[in-house]
Amino acid sequence: MNSLCPVMPFVPFVALMQSVVEFDNVGLRYGTGVETLTDLSFTLYPGSFYFLTGASGAGKTSLLKLLYLAHRPSRGAIRMFGHDAITLPRDRLPGFRRRIGVVFQDFRLVAHLSTFDNIALPLRIAGIQEKDLRGPVTEMLAWIGLTERADARPATLSGGEQQRVAIARAVIGRPEMLVADEPTGNVDPEMARRLLQLFAALNKLGTTVVVATHDIHLLQEIEGAQMMRLDKGRLSDPTGSLRHPPRPLVLKN
Amino acid sequence: MLLDFALPEHDRKLIPEGRLSGQMPWVIAIMLFLTLLVAAAGLTLADAARKGGQDLARQVTVQIIESNPAQRAAQRAAVTRVLRNLDSVADVQPVPDAQVRDLLEPWLGTGIIDADVPVPALVDVRLRSVPTAEALTSLQSAVRSVAPNIRVDSHSSWMAPFFELMRALVWLSAVVLLLLLVATSAVVILAVRSTLNTHRETIEIMHMMGGTDLQAARLFQRRVALDALLGGVVGFIVAAVVIVTVGDRFAAVEPGLLSGAHFPYYGWAILALIPLAVMALAMLMARMTVISALKRIL
Repeated sequence: MNSLCPVMPFVPFVALMQSVVEFDNVGLRYGTGVETLTDLSFTLYPGSFYFLTGASGAGKTSLLKLLYLAHRPSRGAIRMFGHDAITLPRDRLPGFRRRIGVVFQDFRLVAHLSTFDNIALPLRIAGIQEKDLRGPVTEMLAWIGLTERADARPATLSGGEQQRVAIARAVIGRPEMLVADEPTGNVDPEMARRLLQLFAALNKLGTTVVVATHDIHLLQEIEGAQMMRLDKGRLSDPTGSLRHPPRPLVLKN
Repeated sequence: MLLDFALPEHDRKLIPEGRLSGQMPWVIAIMLFLTLLVAAAGLTLADAARKGGQDLARQVTVQIIESNPAQRAAQRAAVTRVLRNLDSVADVQPVPDAQVRDLLEPWLGTGIIDADVPVPALVDVRLRSVPTAEALTSLQSAVRSVAPNIRVDSHSSWMAPFFELMRALVWLSAVVLLLLLVATSAVVILAVRSTLNTHRETIEIMHMMGGTDLQAARLFQRRVALDALLGGVVGFIVAAVVIVTVGDRFAAVEPGLLSGAHFPYYGWAILALIPLAVMALAMLMARMTVISALKRIL
């Protein structure tokens, strides 16, 4: 199995921990069509940062859907947080999903909820008390610069504002893994940098981040980030890390 | 289930609008109105059949067949005396000749009854308890000692088909009641499915964030419960007005077979429970529909 190494400063820490995600020969097919994803084998480690690139239709969104447990693969094995995600009973999926933050490409904000309520949604679903969530949500609103729009409905927000709300909603619960589909597609360069800083800050706290993007310039923003490139449903190896994966350091007695 | 009803305000906002759909409470109101009417009819018939059956089973009529009017009158007085002395007899009422004539005149015409047709004397007897065959034989023997030519008719034998019919109608109303509850459930299921489709996006988002099937189901249960409650209150009020009005009309009917048909007081408690049962049924249907629909997505 290929291994994508996390950023170097985390290697000793990572080596002591189990992987967040392991894909082994995974394939995904919708219905009876051809395989959208083919023979994917890789490992994601805690505290690592990955960019997933590839042309439109390469399968980035499909791979992300497997990562945030929206689909099960047609074949192969997936381990997530140390458990077999293929045979995981359906009633245990919500618990795993709460450990994953998702930024959808089309934002998927709840149209009739305010900005505040949209951001608070994951916390409420997780059963956080109202008095405990007001502070973090207010802080997050300030961070994404939408304090004044706390009561606004998504339809009245610009595309960029909606994207910031979607990102805030994904990170508010401090997920163990953050999966983002084109998270900076609709924001100006300055806001894109700020949002990436937010991802990086979460990453430093131990969150594994996977960002699907067309924008190769983003790769330079995060030092030590790894790149996964999808080409017609297969992982290719532009940086050589898949061919010669730097193995995590294993500490021995 | 009641705890599920009390959702926090922010959860209530997840599926907007006060009700599942505009017509839903009114459809439930109509279904419940019909259900309550059928239940009321069933309860009235059941009560009348039970009371009437008990009363009639204790009623017997002694016919004294004697062509001589003077002897017939003497035997009637003797039979009445004998019957009043029996422990098993609660009440004895000799039927006046005039009343017997009134009963027969529609069939035999006036003026010929006493002259040409020997009419038996009648004595109505109400027993203390429903008689066994042996008790009837014993009563017959006691009466024969003073009037050899008599016949004892138990009312239950000739009224039995009527009360069989009433009992059949009670069962029929129970079946109709069941069908109405099934139809109400179907209405709820269709409404919930429609709402689920309308709010599929919200439910999917909740799902992807780790929301459980039960969390989603609770949102729908509450909506359905509110609709069923509103529909139930309206249906109950209208049905109560109809039941009271029809009850008054029944009370005005002259004594006869239907005079014992009154809506029993305990019936109101049962009718009051039906809207609550429909609400619980609607919540259960909503829960099952949502959970079964969500199970189709991962």
